[in-house]
Amino acid sequence: MLRTLLLILLLGRLLISEEIIVIGDKNFPKETLTIQEIRAVFLDKKRFFIGEKKVLVMNYKFHHPLRNCFEKNILKKSQRSLERYWAKAYYQGKQPPKIIKSIPMLLGYIENVHPSIGYSDVNATFGKEIKILYKGECL
Amino acid sequence: MLYKKALLCTLLISSVTASDPTSYGWNIPNTPLNIGGYIDATYESKREDEFMFNDIALLFSAHKNHFDLLGEVEISDLTLDGKSNGSRDIEIILERLQVSYALENEQILTVGRFNSSVGYWNQAPINILQDTTTKPNIVKNIFPKATTGVMYQKGIGDEDSLTLALQYNRDIGSHDESIVVDRHMAIAYYGVSSDELSWRLSAGSYREFRGDNSRYLGVGTQYDSDEFALQGEFFIQKHDHGLSIPYSGYLQSVWHFTDKHDSVLRLERYKDEFLDVSEIIFLLGYVYRPWERFALKGEYIYHSKLPLNRFVYSFSVMF
Repeated sequence: MLRTLLLILLLGRLLISEEIIVIGDKNFPKETLTIQEIRAVFLDKKRFFIGEKKVLVMNYKFHHPLRNCFEKNILKKSQRSLERYWAKAYYQGKQPPKIIKSIPMLLGYIENVHPSIGYSDVNATFGKEIKILYKGECL
Repeated sequence: MLYKKALLCTLLISSVTASDPTSYGWNIPNTPLNIGGYIDATYESKREDEFMFNDIALLFSAHKNHFDLLGEVEISDLTLDGKSNGSRDIEIILERLQVSYALENEQILTVGRFNSSVGYWNQAPINILQDTTTKPNIVKNIFPKATTGVMYQKGIGDEDSLTLALQYNRDIGSHDESIVVDRHMAIAYYGVSSDELSWRLSAGSYREFRGDNSRYLGVGTQYDSDEFALQGEFFIQKHDHGLSIPYSGYLQSVWHFTDKHDSVLRLERYKDEFLDVSEIIFLLGYVYRPWERFALKGEYIYHSKLPLNRFVYSFSVMF
């Protein structure tokens, strides 16, 4: 009885998880990334090469709940601030991350494109061959 | 008339189809090329041509592994009667054409014609990216806006960077309002103290095309938050033959009182021994941005000495 109750509580916790994880492909050369490194990659402030290949950086469509969480809690920038940032960045020749329509599509890219990086809800990555580079919370 | 309709269509299409507000331009299928641009038009009642398209520009970029290409070409000062810079011959001006190579994650080498990495304003010198239509005095009179040569950039720490630029040849671009040179050496440091606060230190020397040598030194700082922005720059310029610009600086504040409405206040002070002028410039402005890529602006500029007091209005869009 107690075991069943604990299992229900654990499943419930997983289902309502407010965790967001930054993930890379299974061969990603780094085991973890700091918030500063994540921001540098997703804001194209620094080139991020592994060997001769540039890392494929992926983002969700505008207004996706995970994207809102990521921008607020990981990038720590408001929507307006990001719009201003990318307007100047575009003038300087930079491009925002590739837009992905869904979590399954992103995970498909992560599994097949090396090197690549994105972010996801922790539940969606269960059983997938990925590397978790950073864990955060959606506040 | 046909080009006016084409421009209007471009504005409308770009405004409507931009589903992601951080995405600009169009990727050409099966190529690494992205194409976009910007348009900037102004109205000044005291100007001979009251309405003018200041810039109609094309931006193109491409990225392939360690290489980046960036180009900017434009038609400038186009009046409603189809003249550009007073002539019926429409000239396409090369603003930038640069190829960058990332030596590694922290080092980039750039060759071509690029915006001089000097000061804040010069990093985003187009209307749509600024909070005013008019520019501070330092932008045109202290250092060359563009350099044709080589630039080396080194990342330091999380976000700081050091930049060195060198030009030892003629400028490949056409003239613009700025200083045109055939020699230029510049060093600049960009430092980030926090998410909102940064600073810049710049110094250099140049030789105007078949002219004399000058040196400049400048500092700048920027505070930028969601509610309020403050930016200030101060430069001095020394000319080899005595006359100089002993000082030129500005302080500009922007209050984002709603998501779409900003008010701007700018104070400038400069002394120019070439023009024999020392004056204060005061600007009060308003910006309406229904989207970040589209701006309507109105401002009043007051000059304490020169007879240049006026209202200026503009609209600008980037796509």
